[in-house]
Amino acid sequence: MADLVVGISDLKCSGQQNDVIITYALGSCIAVVIYDPMARVGGMLHFMLPDSTLDKTKAAALPGMFADTGVPLLFKSCYQLGAEKKRMIVKIAGGASILNDADYFRIGQKNITAMRKLFWKNNVLIKAEDTGKNCNRTVKLQLADGKCFVRSSGGAVEEL
Amino acid sequence: MLDRILLSINKLPAFPATVQRVAELLKNEDYSVNEIVAVIKFDQAVTANILKISNSAYFGVRQKIKTIHDAVVYLGQQHLVRAIQTASISKFFTNKGYGDKASELWEHSVAVALMSQILSRQMYQQENSVLYTAALLHDVGKLVMGEYVQDASKKIFELVNNHAYSFLEAEEEVVGINHADLGGRIAEYWNFPAEIRDAIALHHRPNLIDPEGKVLISLIYLSDQFCLTMGIDGGMDGLAHRGFSEVTNKFQLRESDIEKCMLMLLEQLKQANELLRIVDK
Repeated sequence: MADLVVGISDLKCSGQQNDVIITYALGSCIAVVIYDPMARVGGMLHFMLPDSTLDKTKAAALPGMFADTGVPLLFKSCYQLGAEKKRMIVKIAGGASILNDADYFRIGQKNITAMRKLFWKNNVLIKAEDTGKNCNRTVKLQLADGKCFVRSSGGAVEEL
Repeated sequence: MLDRILLSINKLPAFPATVQRVAELLKNEDYSVNEIVAVIKFDQAVTANILKISNSAYFGVRQKIKTIHDAVVYLGQQHLVRAIQTASISKFFTNKGYGDKASELWEHSVAVALMSQILSRQMYQQENSVLYTAALLHDVGKLVMGEYVQDASKKIFELVNNHAYSFLEAEEEVVGINHADLGGRIAEYWNFPAEIRDAIALHHRPNLIDPEGKVLISLIYLSDQFCLTMGIDGGMDGLAHRGFSEVTNKFQLRESDIEKCMLMLLEQLKQANELLRIVDK
C-alpha cells in the first residue's frame, strides 16, 4: 500500500486501488477530496488561500495554493484518469479559525466561503463537510472504497 | 505535577556558550577567523549541524562550505551567528512535546523563526537576530511540558474541544502553568536577556504588555499565529488560541499583507530544508 502525501498547496490523484492519499495538519487550509466510485479514481487538494488574484505568478507556478485555481485542476487531473464529473463525490475538511476575536483575520472562514461558492457556481454538491472550529485536521482517502477519514487534534479518527 | 515540572528545569543541560562567545569575538572589527573557528570547534555537538545547515539555500552562499573555517569566512556575521544559534537550539529538541515527533515541534519553531524575519523585513526593512532566537525558542516550554503531560493531555483536549477553553487556559487548569510561562522560566534559567524571556513567556498573550513597547512579543505572537493558521503547528494545539486584533491593528496589517507573508514562508521553507532536517526524530 502506498501513501501519497499531499503537502500545503499541493494535490495528488490516483486510480490505484491500494493507494491512500493523505494530508497532515490542516489549519485554516482546506482539503478538498473527490472520488468517482465507478472509475475508482480519486484525488485530494490542500489549498491555503481563497483567491489567486493575490499573486498570479505564484498561482501559475503552484495552482494548488488557491481555491480558484486548485479545485479546477483537481477535477481535470481526475478526469484524465477516467473519472467523470457527474459521478464525483465531494467532501471537504479544514478551514479552522482562531478563537473568539471577530476582527481578527479569518482566513479559515474566507476559505470555506470561497470554496462553497465555487462548487455552487459549478453545480457540484458537497456531500460531507467537517470545517471551521479551532482544531487541526489530518485527512485520508482510501482509493479502494472511497472512504474518507478525518482526525482532529486531540480527537479520534472519524469517517467523513 | 507542577512541582516536578518546575524542578526538572534545573536538570536541563546548560545552554551552549558558543553563541555568546562568538558574538563577543565578532564585536572586535579586527577579529581573527582562526580564533572564532577554535571556539566553535570546541563545541563538537553543534559543529556537525552548523556544517549541515550552512549550505542551505536560505543562507544564500554560493561556495560549497566544507569546514567550519569556510563557514566563518563565507556565511557573513549575521548568518554565522544564526547558524550557530540554530544548531545549538536544535540539540534540545529531543522529545516530542505534545506532538507525534520531536521533528514536528522543530519544524514549527523554524517556521516561526523564518516568519519573524519576513515580518521584520516588511515592517522595519531589516532582519533581527534577537527576534530570530526568541522565535526559535518560543515553544521551548512544550519540550519540558511534553514529558509530563501524556496523561494530562487528554484532559487538556477535553477542555479545549468541549468546554471552549483556549489551549493555554486548559494547560493552566490541568497542569497549573502554561507552556509559554514555563518557557520563560527556562529562558531565565539559561540566562537569556529579559526581552527574550518575556517574548517567550507572553507569546500567546501580547495583550498583557504595555502597548507602546515590546515589539518583540507582538512579532513572535503574529509569527506563531500565522504558522498555526497555515497548519504548521507541531504541537496539537491547532488554532485553539485567542486572537488579539489590536496587534494586527498596531502594525496596520491588512489581510492581503498577511496572506503574502504566508506565500513567502512557503517558499523559504523549501530553501531552508537543511535547517528543518537537523532534527529527525
